[in-house]
Amino acid sequence: MTDKEIEAKIFEFFEDNYELLRYDSGHQLTNDSRQQALEQVLMYWRKSKNIATSITNTEVKLALPDQQSPAKRPFTIEGVVDIVKEEGETWMYDIKTHDLGYIQKNKHLYEQQLSIYAHIWQNLRGQPLDHTAIISTSIPTELRDALRNPDPRAQEKAMNEWEPVVEIEKEQERIDELILEFGKTVDKIEEHEFAPPSPTKLNEKMGSKMSRGTFATRVCGNCDARFSCTSYREYAAKRSGQHMYHFKKFYIDPAPDAEQEEWMAANFDLGKLEQALNVTND
Amino acid sequence: MKPIPSIEHFWKLKNFSPTKEQQQAIHHTKGPLFLTAGPGSGKTRVLLWRTLNLVVYHSVQPDEIFLSTFTEKAALQLKDGLRSLLASVTNETGRPFDISGMALGTVHSICNTIISDRRFAPEGQRRHAPNVMDELSQYFFLYNRNRWIELIDKAGFKNEEDAQRSINLFIANKNSSSRHEAVQNTLKLFNRMSEEMLDPRKIKKGDEVLLKMLLMYEHYRKLLNEQHPKIKSVDLALLQQEAHTTMTAHKNGNEVFRHVIIDEYQDTNSIQEKIFFAASEGTKNICVVGDDDQALYRFRGATVENLVEFEERCKVFLKQKPTRIDLVKNFRSRKEIVDTYNHFIQQIDWKKKRPLKGHHRIHDKVIVPHSTDKGAAVVVTSHEKPPQVAREVAQFVKDLKKQGKIEDYNQVAFLFPSLKGNSKVAAYKEAFEEIGVEVYAPRAGNFLEVEESLAVFGIFSRIFGRAQYDAEASGGLKQFYGWLGNACRFADKLIEKDKNLSNFIAEKREELKTVLSDYELLVKAADKQKWKRDELATDLQLQKLQTLSGLSEKAKKILGSQSFIWLLQRKRKEGKPFNLDYIINRVTAVDWSVMDLFYQLCGFDYFKKAFDLAEDGRDEAPVCNLALVSEYVARFMEERPSIINARFLSDNIFVKVFFSSYLYAIYRLAQSEFENADDPFPKGRVPFLTIHQSKGLEFPVVVLGSVYKRDFGVNRVEEIARELTGKKGEPLERLYDFDTMRMFYVALSRAQNLVVLPHYKGGSAATEVFKSLFEENRFTLLPKFKLAQLPAAKLHVNDLGGTYSFTGDYIAYNTCPRHYMIFRKYGFVPSRSQTMFFGSLVHQTIEDLHQLLISKRKAEAL
Repeated sequence: MTDKEIEAKIFEFFEDNYELLRYDSGHQLTNDSRQQALEQVLMYWRKSKNIATSITNTEVKLALPDQQSPAKRPFTIEGVVDIVKEEGETWMYDIKTHDLGYIQKNKHLYEQQLSIYAHIWQNLRGQPLDHTAIISTSIPTELRDALRNPDPRAQEKAMNEWEPVVEIEKEQERIDELILEFGKTVDKIEEHEFAPPSPTKLNEKMGSKMSRGTFATRVCGNCDARFSCTSYREYAAKRSGQHMYHFKKFYIDPAPDAEQEEWMAANFDLGKLEQALNVTND
Repeated sequence: MKPIPSIEHFWKLKNFSPTKEQQQAIHHTKGPLFLTAGPGSGKTRVLLWRTLNLVVYHSVQPDEIFLSTFTEKAALQLKDGLRSLLASVTNETGRPFDISGMALGTVHSICNTIISDRRFAPEGQRRHAPNVMDELSQYFFLYNRNRWIELIDKAGFKNEEDAQRSINLFIANKNSSSRHEAVQNTLKLFNRMSEEMLDPRKIKKGDEVLLKMLLMYEHYRKLLNEQHPKIKSVDLALLQQEAHTTMTAHKNGNEVFRHVIIDEYQDTNSIQEKIFFAASEGTKNICVVGDDDQALYRFRGATVENLVEFEERCKVFLKQKPTRIDLVKNFRSRKEIVDTYNHFIQQIDWKKKRPLKGHHRIHDKVIVPHSTDKGAAVVVTSHEKPPQVAREVAQFVKDLKKQGKIEDYNQVAFLFPSLKGNSKVAAYKEAFEEIGVEVYAPRAGNFLEVEESLAVFGIFSRIFGRAQYDAEASGGLKQFYGWLGNACRFADKLIEKDKNLSNFIAEKREELKTVLSDYELLVKAADKQKWKRDELATDLQLQKLQTLSGLSEKAKKILGSQSFIWLLQRKRKEGKPFNLDYIINRVTAVDWSVMDLFYQLCGFDYFKKAFDLAEDGRDEAPVCNLALVSEYVARFMEERPSIINARFLSDNIFVKVFFSSYLYAIYRLAQSEFENADDPFPKGRVPFLTIHQSKGLEFPVVVLGSVYKRDFGVNRVEEIARELTGKKGEPLERLYDFDTMRMFYVALSRAQNLVVLPHYKGGSAATEVFKSLFEENRFTLLPKFKLAQLPAAKLHVNDLGGTYSFTGDYIAYNTCPRHYMIFRKYGFVPSRSQTMFFGSLVHQTIEDLHQLLISKRKAEAL
């Protein structure tokens, strides 16, 4: 198969998956998001061809059973990774749609995750492992800009500068500590501790310079339940400097115009509307 | 790799000491196996260890196993349990086991995977999984007026009235012309036809109405196929037919699965039996597990004979007699409970009528209690009218809690044959209310009548306007408007108390008014200019519209916004430019959906309180109800347009579509026992559920709310199916007796420590069997029961523990525990799931790419 044929296959897979997900969920992706999703897969293929073609096992399910939380609850940890074994070296990859800035900023989370997976792979399964890494499929702004640039050299340069593979340090000596942390979360879930993060946390920056935004804009902004959330309301009230109900803004969807327009376009189904107009004498 | 220790080693590790029969079942690996499994006999464990035995010790690949059970919940338990057990083996041996490819799930979900499984596809090409319509979608599909009329036209009925009345008379023996009822009756017949795999074209003789309905069925199937060019639409019954066809059409389709294991076999139907035998025909390795005494689903086409006659059928289909093993040791209940249901089930005669031999039941099995506790475990209330009995029982439940015999009220289950229109349900609710104990009974009455639902839909009605009906409305419709009136009154009380809410509603109404007036202006302007609305919009037109006097600021803003202009340009570039009509419709749309509105409402005092109560762990019930409301709102978005604009709002169309059509259908469906939802058991509340909902569950204390069931006569669809298939089955005149006995057997066997039986005075007090049991005076009277001798309930612990994923649980919880609670624990449906959709799309496509590259490499290596 030539690269071109493989790209054609990617289109086909993508269309099929999109159609199935859309049909299944009854939701649509905005045109922009859909393009971005396709672009992510294509760029992953173009940039990380050497990895993609050498994947030995894809979507490997890993499980760490028989763990016990501090409150003596039994639990199992589960995860999925891709494995490459080549020329005597084994890599473990976890593919994420998160952007590189976010990954850098929250590296400790990925370290925890891959360390536990590595522990399962090496110590329980007795398989060799040399490196663990995250592959970010999110396309950095520089590259996105370069792709719009008709000059192929600019594109090539941006492509070369893009480093989507972030190697993650395995912390095998801290593994007990990491599992303990996980167990604490299990206990909190089972003991019904569900208070939201504090309003202070909502004001904290989330990403690095590359990806701006606070917890409130990046996480809460996408959460449907923010209107009924004590922390978000406090945060919103402080920002506006007055009692929250007095500003309509609180209830206006914070989605940027372009995003809103796309959402509208994706869901605007005149056919469905016509149909509805016809069934009113139900 | 290290050698694998024996299975006994792992039993010990997991604290499992199987009985002799359990061991036999686990070690059985060849040929058909017939496992009869009484209540609480540990069959789930046996299934888990048997599967583990196959995978670990007999090198059966996980994807060569077909393991099905009745509910998603049970399937999930099996999956988690198996993962956890297998991972323990991996732990000690370094051998990995990946069960993600195992056909493990409900029969329906397995059928879905079979259809798109490469192993059954010609030349290994993956086929599209079909679009599966659940019962509600199927109902809406048929209820759609245009489609319905098309169907009855095809059938040659005179008109709607004629069709509906004939169908209702024929199937339900009811003189009614209701379309809702006719649709439900039609679906019953359609589904049974599909389950029996009957070809409508081959049936030439029969009742005139039946023949007409068969024409409808034929056309219905044609319509389903025409829904989408690439994706087939199927209902749940046709999904199974499709899977059967896929399997049997393939040359080696009968040996793809080396082992077929079916749980809850007593509740399988005719098409499912065909699927199971087709899948195991090549290897003969079929294992069925079930208990005929717990068969509950005849009304959905299940035939308990699949189990009772399994030995004979196996001989016919597989030419082999199965090994039979009885799992009869009960580990769940105290001795008197087991003795009681053993005695109970023998109170009617199960013998077949002469000249036939044998029984309609696997009669040669008796459940043996593991417990030797001689104390009273079944008690009978005083012989009183229902309200008095209810008071006595309610007080008793309160005492149970006070004395520490239960830790939470949700450990006492009240089981009813039916929750709808049951006066006893009302009596218990009232009795509990009097003593300040909360109950959870969202399906008693109509779910739409719970407070949270009244609040949401009442406020919706205040925003969008009240649906009106004319004086000639049918009884059902009047009742629905009665409900809507209650909802509005409930909403008004909330609005009165909450100034912010009333402002919010006023603003929303204003917004809707604005888009309507904008629409009128735009249409008028276009007409005046003699612009054709179905022609492509020009820039000039847009400019003119933007400066139209009287047009709202918002509309002007959209028309002039950069993002809108970009969209127009892009569409032109793509060769799909917008016409003027689209532009007008777009500009007059509000930028929120009903789902967005639902979440916005959740910010107001009344709703926020529900979230706060759940967050603090004080009361989960209101939030559980709101989660259910979110499902109904989401469903509307799937079935009907999700964007609200002036066109949709004009002439009250939206109101008609949302209330008079969608909610009205939900309202009527919710009146019947339509749903069989996995309802939650919120802490601090006494759960009321149907016996059907209690299938597979256990509770420390069970109260039978009623020991009576009405006889509705023989199910017409059952009769028709027998005529058309020529199958014999259990005698029609005995079905009521058999089914009633089985249902109460299920109820009695759910209890661990105590069963409470009500001894009512008055009509509909008890079935004949219960009456004679009461006359035997074998049970302790509730007022004389010594609470001290009752063991305290143990808090339910899953000894295998839960499975948590790093991203879905750990990271999600640590990002925001509250978000985790709302969407993961209580299952609210999110409004805009772009992020989730996006992630799945990218991951699935990359996985497909990897699969392609791996198989390409393998092919090159050859």
